[in-house]
Amino acid sequence: MRDWEALVEEHLTALELEPAERAEVIAELAAHLAETCEELHRRGMTEEEAVRRTLSQVEDWQELCSRIQTARMKENIMTNRIKQFWLPSLLTLLLSMGLLVLVQFFGPNPWVISRKSAWSLIAPVAVVYLPWLFSLPIVGAMGAYLSNRAGGSRRAMLSSIVFPVFPYSVSFLIGLPLVVILNHQIVHDMMFLALFVGLLAWVVAPAAALLTGGLLTEFFLSRRLDSRRIAGG
Amino acid sequence: MIGSGIKRGTAELAILSVLEEGPLHGYEMARRIEEQTKGVLCFTLAALYPMLYRMEQRGWIRGAWETSSSGRRRRCYRITPVGKKKLSPLRREWAELFGALRRLTKVSNA
Repeated sequence: MRDWEALVEEHLTALELEPAERAEVIAELAAHLAETCEELHRRGMTEEEAVRRTLSQVEDWQELCSRIQTARMKENIMTNRIKQFWLPSLLTLLLSMGLLVLVQFFGPNPWVISRKSAWSLIAPVAVVYLPWLFSLPIVGAMGAYLSNRAGGSRRAMLSSIVFPVFPYSVSFLIGLPLVVILNHQIVHDMMFLALFVGLLAWVVAPAAALLTGGLLTEFFLSRRLDSRRIAGG
Repeated sequence: MIGSGIKRGTAELAILSVLEEGPLHGYEMARRIEEQTKGVLCFTLAALYPMLYRMEQRGWIRGAWETSSSGRRRRCYRITPVGKKKLSPLRREWAELFGALRRLTKVSNA
């Protein structure tokens, strides 16, 4: 009986994969060759002819080796997850942060939501940059477009659109309560109000603005696709 | 000459379609495709496995080692939810392409 694994291993010496992964590939290809040869033999071919026909499935082992290498090397492939989620998400985050910095430096004064404290002092509970909020639909639209173009699912697209509010959500939902627990000097009722208004101003409102642009873009992209299909018959 | 993009597209559609019917290992998959297409589509080992590995990387299919009743270990592939989702637009695109070719060439069985 022929040792197909030894044969495949001999031909795929250039295959540079992790040892376990390499062994898997060799075992899988060897099993395929063995079954092909057995089947041909069962159909009445001589063993020699069956082996010859089986081996004719691979014209160029070097090419096969390089194609397997390319297909299996994870680090060389820009995976779908990166194209459909991470890249659009990070770009929307960067753009929204950049716009916020621009608005803070060059834009009009922010809208300060304040509250009178027990000592009649005006205490700010949230600072809202309205021009930034109005620019966010464009950022959301970009996230939706990039994710959609990469063939992302609806979930990946929605996540990319709202990704810029993620850091704010973390800071409001984890950071602020932690500060309240650790710092006893902070007036607690003020902190809860700040948390609520801050969540509205920095998470809910930006998410709504991002989603407005993103969902509108998704709507137009899907309509364009439909009209192309109709045009294509 | 058929371009590599078209070849790859048909191969992906063929593989996803047979895996939709149930899990198969590579050899069985090649045989099933050849039988169902009456020999029009034939996958050699050299064509099949790089394609399977690429599709596995994309998350369309998932392979797992299984031992058959005869004791032979084989890597069995299953279609994933991502692959199932990919199958319907692929089918639609190919139906559109064949429809367009049929109209263009007036070949009734295109």
